[in-house]
Parts: sequence; C-alpha cells; structure tokens
Amino acid sequence: AVTRRLCILKGIYPHEPKHKKKVNKGSTAARTFYLLKDIKFLLHEPIVNKFREYKVFVRKLRKAYGKSEWSTVDRLKDNKPSYKLDHIVKERYPTFVDALRDLDDALSMCFLFSTFPRTGKCHVQTIQLCRRLAVEFLNYVIASRSLRKVFLSIKGIYYQAEVLGQPVTWITPYTFAHDHPTDVDYRVMATFTEFYTTLLGFVNFRLYHSLNLLYPPKIDGQADVELKPAEGKDYAMDSESYLEKLSALSASLARVVAPTHEDEVEMDEFPVEGETAEQMDTRKKEQEALEKHKKLFEGLRFFLNREVPREPLAFVIRSFGGQVSWDKSLCIGATYDVSDPSITHQIVDRPRVEQQVVGRYYLQPQWVFDSVNAKLCLPVADYFPGVLLPPHLSPFVTEQEGDYVPPEKLKLLAMQRGENPDEESEEEDGEEEEEDDDNEKEEEEEEDESEKEEEMKLKKMEEQKTQSDKALPVKVTAGKLRLEDRQRLEQEQQSEEKRLAIMMMKKREKYLYKKIMFGKKRKVREANKLAAKRKAHDTALKEEKKKSKKARRA
Amino acid sequence: MAAPAESSSFLGLGPGSRDPATVRRRSRGPRNRKKGWKRWAGPEARLGREIGDFLEDVVLQQRATGGLIAEQPDEGLFFVDTGNAEKDRQLNKGKEKPLHVDLVLQPDSKVPAPKNILAHQIPNGRKEKRRRQFWEKQAEKGVLPRAERRLRARLRRGGVPPEKAPEKGRSDPERGFYDIWAADNPLERALAGQDGWFLQQTKKQRVKRPARLRTKPSQVPAVEVIAAGGSYNPTFEDHQALLLQAHEVEVRKKRAEDKVEKQLKIPAGAELPTAETVFQEQCEGLLEESGDEEDGEQPAPPEDTPKTAPRREKKTEQQRRREKEARALATRRRREKAARCRRQELFRLRSLRLQVKRWEAELLRRRQARLAKRRAKDALPRRLGRLKYEDPSMEVQLSEELAESLRTLKPEGSVLRDRFKSLQKRNLIEPRERAKFKRRYRLKYVEKRAFREVTL
Repeated sequence: AVTRRLCILKGIYPHEPKHKKKVNKGSTAARTFYLLKDIKFLLHEPIVNKFREYKVFVRKLRKAYGKSEWSTVDRLKDNKPSYKLDHIVKERYPTFVDALRDLDDALSMCFLFSTFPRTGKCHVQTIQLCRRLAVEFLNYVIASRSLRKVFLSIKGIYYQAEVLGQPVTWITPYTFAHDHPTDVDYRVMATFTEFYTTLLGFVNFRLYHSLNLLYPPKIDGQADVELKPAEGKDYAMDSESYLEKLSALSASLARVVAPTHEDEVEMDEFPVEGETAEQMDTRKKEQEALEKHKKLFEGLRFFLNREVPREPLAFVIRSFGGQVSWDKSLCIGATYDVSDPSITHQIVDRPRVEQQVVGRYYLQPQWVFDSVNAKLCLPVADYFPGVLLPPHLSPFVTEQEGDYVPPEKLKLLAMQRGENPDEESEEEDGEEEEEDDDNEKEEEEEEDESEKEEEMKLKKMEEQKTQSDKALPVKVTAGKLRLEDRQRLEQEQQSEEKRLAIMMMKKREKYLYKKIMFGKKRKVREANKLAAKRKAHDTALKEEKKKSKKARRA
Repeated sequence: MAAPAESSSFLGLGPGSRDPATVRRRSRGPRNRKKGWKRWAGPEARLGREIGDFLEDVVLQQRATGGLIAEQPDEGLFFVDTGNAEKDRQLNKGKEKPLHVDLVLQPDSKVPAPKNILAHQIPNGRKEKRRRQFWEKQAEKGVLPRAERRLRARLRRGGVPPEKAPEKGRSDPERGFYDIWAADNPLERALAGQDGWFLQQTKKQRVKRPARLRTKPSQVPAVEVIAAGGSYNPTFEDHQALLLQAHEVEVRKKRAEDKVEKQLKIPAGAELPTAETVFQEQCEGLLEESGDEEDGEQPAPPEDTPKTAPRREKKTEQQRRREKEARALATRRRREKAARCRRQELFRLRSLRLQVKRWEAELLRRRQARLAKRRAKDALPRRLGRLKYEDPSMEVQLSEELAESLRTLKPEGSVLRDRFKSLQKRNLIEPRERAKFKRRYRLKYVEKRAFREVTL
C-alpha cells in the first residue's frame, strides 16, 4: 500500500511489457509491472523516510494505547511526523503551463471531494481543504470572466473555462445526497486528492497573482463586513463565516494594487508575420465576439428563487457580469431582496408563479445556461414557467458537414447570425411548408459547397417549383437576385462538368466511384432517416397539442 | 583393621587416593531401587555421616556461643542464680542481663556477618573526588558548569518560552501557498548560488526526473464529456442515439449469454440416455460372443524362426572403386548444375528483381500492420494487472425517466465512480476489485433441536 501511494504521488505508473513471458520468467500470469529504473528513481525521494518514520510512530502509538500510557500518547501525537508535497509538484510540473494542462483532473477531484459528507470515511481536513480551493478557483473564474461553456447532464454539470489560453474542462456533481459506491477504492482516491489539492493550491496562488488579486482572497470592502458581525452569526461560526461568505460567490475580491483608469487605453495592434488581411480581420472579429460574450449579463440583475440550485447559477451569472441575489434564508451573502424593484430577471422552477411583478422576467434556470452556450441572450418566451422547454444542447458537440443537425441547433445558428427569429417561430397556418422551406433554405446556405447535397438540392428545387402557388416568404431584392443567379449558374456549370467526367470514366473506375459515393452518402441517408423520425415525432406532438387544446376549449 | 598409613589423616586417604569430591561411582541402574539403599550401610558412609554430624555440632556451638563450648570461660556460659533476686543482682552486677525482648531480636548466631566491602566502595571514587576539587577551583575563578549556566539563563528569561505555532500539514485547511514557479521560491532558496557539483555530491539537490516520465501514459482526455443525449433535457435524436448505444450494449450481452446457453442445450432430436443404454455402453467389448470364438481358433501360424539378416560378403576392390567413381560423378554433376544455375540466373535478373521487390513489399506490409496494431492498442486501456478494464455502464435515462424541470431531475450515475474508471482507463492505476472474504474451513450448518421438530 505504501509503494502504491508513493507511485501515485510521484507520478509513476505501471508499465505493460512488450514480451510478458520474458519479463515474467516464462509464465503468462497477469501481474502488475513497474520499470526498475522508475523504482530506483522513486527511492531517491525524501518522503520515503517520512513514511518510515510514520510507520514507527504508528507502532509506538499503538503500544502506548495498549499500555494506557496517556501522557506518552499525547506526547507522540504532538510530535506526529508530517510531510509536504511541494517539491513533488515542482518536479512534476516544472513550468506553470504544464500544471495548467493537468488542471482538469485536479479540479474534478477537488470539486468531487468537496461534496462528500463529513463522516470519518475520508479525513475531514481534506474535504475542508478541497472546499476552500474549489471556492477560490470559482472566484478566480468570476473575476477573470473565463467561463465559456456549461452543460447540464444527468451525471453532473460540465464547465469549460479558458485559463491563460488553456481550455480547462471539469465536472461538478449535483448537490444531492447520494450513497457512496463500494467498488471504489477510497484510499487511492484520497492519495490522488492529496496531490491534487497541493497542485491546485499553487495554481490558485499563481492565477490570483496574474490578476493582481490578494491571495488568500479577501472580500472587497472589508470594513462593511466588520461593521455587521451580527449578520454572519445566523449562518456560521466565526471561524467558518469567512469561507461561507467567499463561497457565496456574490462579493468581489480585493486587489493588491488599486486598479487605475488606464485600462481603457486601446492596445496597440501588431500584425503577426505571415498573416493576410483576411486572417487578421477574422481574428479581430473573434476577439470582438469574445468581448461581447464576456459581457453577456452585464447590467442585468437576477434573483434566484429558493427551489433553484443556487451555486451553479450564481457562478454562471456572475461570470458574465450579472448581479445575483437570493433569499436571505438560503445562504449568507444575499445582497438584495425579492422586493427590490431593479430586478430584471427572476429564476423560478415552479409550474406556476403567483403575483408576478411587472417589468421582471420570470424564467426557468435553463435560460441562463442556454444563453451562455449560445453567446447571446435568448428570447425569453420559450423559458417562461410552465412552458415546455426547448432541449438543452451540448456545447461540446461540434457537427461536421453532412452530419445531422437538429432543427433547434439550426435555429440557434440562425439567431447567432442575426436573422429574425420570428420567421422560425411556429404559426398555426401553413406551418409545415414554411418550416420545410426555411429548413431547406438554411441547409442550402450552409451546405453550399458540398457536392454530396447535389441530389437533395435538385429535389428541393423540384418541390419548390410544385409549391409555387403557395406564397413563399422570400424577400428578393435586385442585388440578391443577381448574386443567386451567379451562384446558381456556377453551380450548374460545375455539376455539368462533373456529370460529363463521370460519363467519360471507364467501367472499372465508375464502379469504384459509385462504391465510394455510396459510402459517403451513408451519412446523408442516416441524416434523412433521423429527419423523417423527427418529423413523425413532431406531428405526433402537434396532434396531441391540438387534441388537448380542443379538450380545453370544450 | 588395617592400620592407616602414616601420612594420611584419620579419614584414611592416602597420597594415591582420588579426591573424594571428584570420585564418581559407576552408576549401576536407577538409584531409587532397593539396591541403591545398601550404600548407606557401609563403613565409609557411616564415617561420613559422623563427620557431618560433628561439623554441624561445631558450627552450632560457634553460632550459639561464638566458639567451642569447651573453650568458653565459665563467666560467658553461666549465670549465678541463688534464688534471691537481690543477691542475684548484686552478684551479677557486672554481667548485665539484657532484656528478653532484645535478646529475641538479636541475631542468635555469634558468628559475625561478613563485612560488605562493596558498600564502602565508590566506583571512580578518586576520580570523582578530583573532579569535585577541580570544579570548586573553577567556581572560585567564576567559571560555572553548563547545567548551572543554563538554569541561570532560564531564570533570567523568566519562565516558559512562548510555543511557536505547529507547522501546518499538507491537508490542513488553513495551509498557505506560495509561488512555486517563481525564480526565487522557498524550495530552492537554500540551494541558490552554490556549486552544482557540490550539491549533487552531497545529495542536497534532488535527482533529476527522467524524461521518460514526462509523457502521459494515455492520450485520452482527463474529463470526457458525455454525449449530447446525456443532457438533462436532450433533443429527441440525441436521446435516441444514446438509447441505441445502450441498447446495442445490452444486445451484445444477451447474445453472449444466449450463446452459452445454446452450447449447453441438449439437441432437439437426441434421446436422453437411459439406464439400459448406459449399461450397454459400459459392456461394449467385454462379453465374448459366438462370432469371436471362431476367429479365435485360427490364429496366425507362429513364425518358425526369427529372420536372420543375410550375411554380407566383403566388398571387392572393384565394387569399392565403382562406388567411389559414382559418388565423384554425382558430386561433380551437382556442382556443375549449381554453377550453371547461378550463371543462368544472370538472365533471370528481371524476374529476380521482381521477386525481391515483392518480398520487400510483403515485409513492409507486415511492418505497417504491426505498427497499425500497436497504434490501435495505444488507444485502448492497457492490460496492467490481473483484471481487465471494464467500461462503466452507460448513464442514460429512459424516456419515461427524463425530467421535466431541473428541480425534478434525479441524477444518474456517480461522478466518483466515473473518475475512478477514468483513472483506470488512462493507465494511471490498474483495475482492482474488493478483496473477498475467504474462509479457511467449510461452514457447518446445524439445525437446532427445536427447529428439527417442526414439520411443515
């Protein structure tokens, strides 16, 4: 067990030999192998001596307990041997960027351990340290506005933040009580957590200093806090009230040096060598989009109802510049009350809300997360309490060409590009054709250059011709017409040339070509199948809705 | 009686006789038998016993009176007792009679106890004396020993020094951190500015970490985000895709089970063996029937004599010569053929080149196949221990279980187990299972008497 702990701390992993029989001296029994040189390197570690001392300490302590020599027990406990893992962290991650690359695992473990109940199963100190480090990291992300993606899954909440250029992904479990699985080795996890807490502590220190913040973090405006000690007493003991206030994530942090107003000076632009003007433009646009994304909730004031998960929402809202508060009975750090008139959005999760205040939007919590993923404030009508929510899409999924793109995602992309979302909304009359047309048009515009969509386009063109009697909501201006003609002409020319080339191929080559195209079009066929399924599902839903409406009317 | 020798003592021991202490009688059997008791009857034994008695008597006299009674003066042995108390006192004035109480408590042996010299001996007595004298002289000069100096310093300091705060351990929730990646950090401050060779030789600097350990054991990312169908409110298609994956896993499992069951099933048309058929099978070939007996009477005629190898006659010279020539001819022919083949291969160069090219292409193909296999194995989790890595069961909620709102969501799966499996998948630890409890003996089940009487 001790060797295993040492190997985990030092970062030495078991090795799979290429010739197992040679290494195992003829037998093929599956055993765990470590490289001899790794073990020799491990023996140079000064912590090995500390482990020996600890073993001796345990033996003496047990003897003293057995002999009921309590003074000896006290003396031994006072001089308990302890060790620190700082030098191992420095050895394994010689630069800060290396440490950032391994931050995923460390963060997930720390967040996981901070949700453990404080029974004696794992050391309570570890759990407290994990909680403190997790809260510090969240505060850093809020201060640096680095959060980019959030995904609510059935397992937990996935976050992705961009820390100093490195994307860092971690998972947080939901704060529900769960019984602990028995097939997990807690000692191994505790050893990993030991190392990761040390790593995360150092990373936090460095991150805070990169932002010019004080570490250990101090809440800005400390004087106000000290004037009202009575408020803190309701929630936590004095020793813990500081951490609790920090974990409320509602206060801003104190800086080392007061920020001056030089931040508003524009940065000089240095053209990078080898970049064309186009690339610079795209980069500029991306940066502007990023800046806009960071200020998504700026100026908005949120209020969280009691039934809504407070910590994830507070974290996400504050990471994008919004102000958030909650009921006083929930947690320490509530800045304003329900009755504050300046609240713009209130997050509720109940089926009905009585006493709605005018001038305030009542939304379900998914609106916040979806807006963050879509990088803009989505229309609130879909997220009213009691309304069937649109599905929560995963921001970690990037669709390639030819893959099936669900219509919700298409709507989102359209909204991002700035098209009027009203066209996409459902209407009672002539819904289906409109939807089909819009979807088709979006698909056309997206998959312009792909040759796989040749046949689909031809089909659509034929359909459009047959539906010419229905009014098409296409606004055509003179300039647009010309563009479309040119594009269409070019495409037609290309397709003609292609068809000629296919005709001129030899039989064998044509056979091969047909085979390849068959394989490529498989994806398209599957996408079509899924679209058909989705249609069937939607019609079924609509019928149900109609029936229910009729029932309600009758 | 034989007259004792002149030089011997009354014990009858002469110059040639052995030391009675070392004399060993030949042991003749166990001593507690009747035979052994005859020893006490002999003259030597009696003499010995008499001597023993005499010596004991002498010692008793010495203990009681401090010497042989015959040699004591009268005054030491007797008190004058006239029957009159006063006269007695007068007569015995000089001789003070001690109290009976005191007498009883005195040691009743007149033999004085041996003096304990060790009690008067001090080890290193002289050395200690000299040391004491030395320190007295130093004290006159004003130099005090260290212990004294420390005590006085403590007195001057005025009591117990303040306890410094105990060093915070690695898991202490209040522990502090510093910038470990800065050029000047507490870890390396002690070693700054010193010679590298010196530090290495005196083992003050740590051993360099080998470059091999810098690479990660697996390219799998640390946190794998669940598929889009795992969202708490997924789109229809993504959820169906995820359900399909879970369904395929279940189908595969069911197929494996069915396969095993099919192999164990009894085939449809077969007949189960009955006791008769089993008995028949067992008797195959054991019973002799009539057909066998006839064949048995015509065994093969025994061979007359073993065949003798034909005697070879000596080879003649001619035969030897001929054989030699034949051999020489054969070798010559073979050599010529080989040379001819080699010469003719010159004309086959093109096809030879093709052959070589084909073989090399084959080798290249094999090497690439091996490389591709290696790369494919890299993507999978390595086999590191006794158990194989098993993928965790997929976290998926059925359509009925999907939550309508975040409030009603019931989380599926456990992040702890997911992290543990991820560590195994990335080859950081080997898969392990919980140690099972194995009994060394078979458990006996005994029914209680009361329960035995219960009949259903």
